Amino acid sequence: MTENRGLFTLPGAQAYLAAEPEMTTEQLSDRLFTVSDGQVRTIFMAGDTGVIAFDTFGTPGKARAYGKAIAIAVPDKPITTIIYSHDHLDHAGFAADLAPNAEIIADELCAKVIKLRGAEGQLQPSRVLTGERNELTIDGVDLVLLNPGPTHGSGNMAAYFAEEKTLFSSDTILANAKYGFMPDYHFCNFIRFMRGFLELDWDRFVPGRYELTDRDGFERGCDFIEAVMTTCQEAFVGFVPIWAYEPMKGYCMGQLSERFGDMEGFENHIGQMAIRIVHHYLMGGWGLEDTPEPSVLLADQVAL
Amino acid sequence: MSEGEHSCAEHCGIFTIGGDLAIQGAYRDICYQPVRDNIWTASEGIYRTIFLEGNKGCIAFDTFGTPGTARAYQQAIARVFPKKPIHTVVYSHEHLDHCGYAADLAPDAKILSHDYANQVIVGRQSSGQLAAHETFADERISHEIDGCYFELIYPGHTHGDGNIAAYFPQSKTLFMVDTVADGVGYTTLMDWHLTHYVPVMKRFLSLDWDVFVPGHFWPITRPRFIQILDYWERMFDFGQQAIFDGLDPHDWDGLNKYTDEKLGPLYGNEFRYHEYGAMNLYRYMQEYLTGGWGMEGNMTPPNLSPL
Repeated sequence: MTENRGLFTLPGAQAYLAAEPEMTTEQLSDRLFTVSDGQVRTIFMAGDTGVIAFDTFGTPGKARAYGKAIAIAVPDKPITTIIYSHDHLDHAGFAADLAPNAEIIADELCAKVIKLRGAEGQLQPSRVLTGERNELTIDGVDLVLLNPGPTHGSGNMAAYFAEEKTLFSSDTILANAKYGFMPDYHFCNFIRFMRGFLELDWDRFVPGRYELTDRDGFERGCDFIEAVMTTCQEAFVGFVPIWAYEPMKGYCMGQLSERFGDMEGFENHIGQMAIRIVHHYLMGGWGLEDTPEPSVLLADQVAL
Repeated sequence: MSEGEHSCAEHCGIFTIGGDLAIQGAYRDICYQPVRDNIWTASEGIYRTIFLEGNKGCIAFDTFGTPGTARAYQQAIARVFPKKPIHTVVYSHEHLDHCGYAADLAPDAKILSHDYANQVIVGRQSSGQLAAHETFADERISHEIDGCYFELIYPGHTHGDGNIAAYFPQSKTLFMVDTVADGVGYTTLMDWHLTHYVPVMKRFLSLDWDVFVPGHFWPITRPRFIQILDYWERMFDFGQQAIFDGLDPHDWDGLNKYTDEKLGPLYGNEFRYHEYGAMNLYRYMQEYLTGGWGMEGNMTPPNLSPL
């Protein structure tokens, strides 16, 4: 069997793409579940007649393992809807291997990027949403999809479940400090948009990676990234060599360890975060997504 | 925080912290040397740009990345051409570290840029970064300004937004920022649009030039330009293989160990390899894990034919 390849071009990709990891599923309410392969995390919901799956995981094998986990948790109900949290392949790249006939819902910008990308296995959304807030009822399930503006990737939508008092947002805030180099983050309005979610009534947060947290954990995550942003500016104006990993790590460790050093992954990730974030201030942000009133360059050149 | 809340008297870019932003006003020595004909190059050691001697004044490309360096750049140009003020500034692209402080370099100069760059500059509202007065949206435009002939070329999405090269056919010289520079640089390839980067950059090989002035470090030759592009091209395969080998791109120690083993024998002697080889590999891995980033990172160039 030849797997869908995403963007891989080397012949050695097949074994990587085919591997099916063990999935861990946790039931959060009568209808709501979360599932993880140990790194990436998502959610799915049992509808009246089918399952609404958020995202697909990042390889064909992982998508199949996700499908099997859903089938165990919600037997006899097919996946009828997939909702893409955002455009990235590691979360939403393989609907063709999860449920090729499902309706796929995504933000308009996410859909445009997916169309441009043309990755093998990443299916084009069949229903496109626009605006900051969409209230949907799908197969008896009420949910709210929120896109406050550019945060991470393109067309990143959070899902709010009022009845479950639960918020899901992929690759934004984490329950730990394992952010790495923060790929495709848009920092200009990130904290403002994230804190906006706190206006909603929820007490459980499901991130796109690692473990769940609560409202306090989410707020601490916002505080942490905001503190790194401030510290990186202080390093910059204080003549720390911002191009270099060790000096930036050392400076941020010194400034932030007392407050955030207990967060899992802090010491191993703070240097990477610092290199990325200090470049935000050096360069001015990336693209129109990173401006005070954000929009997206070239978006009007793509027709769906 | 508004600009008025800073005690810093300088333009403050997009800094949001208050207080005295010491680095903004710091003076930097600028070195300068002739390239060819009326083309000069200037650098503070890391960043590099060019300026042109016109009949009545000078054309400065970019501004450097702080008010202090912008002023030092202006003083350097004035030292070489004391009676020729800067009347034109050309932005290579929109990033503040290269083009953030025209207000401190030459506030009354006419500013040229690509339309994409200017859209971001207008949206950014950064303190000290002036919007362009004249933009172009096509692939190529020629200018004859104050006796200086040059062509501005937008080859496709490479780095940042609206990143243009300046081509001087009579001097066989090409200038382009944050794309090719000597060695292994550019940390995690910040704001690079990798997917089509190499074929877009190879378009410049259809032009007749033998000196390339990059936005960092020192000028290089045409063969060296090709070698560097080859490195960036080969990294696509290394990035994929690292994923197949189970490397976690967020594992900094693992990234460095893997890079030393796999890339070190080939590229270990390249300038700044030991600082940035692992960061380069990280970015290429992400290209395959996440897919390209945003519109610029996924849009197929409309034209990959020779320039």
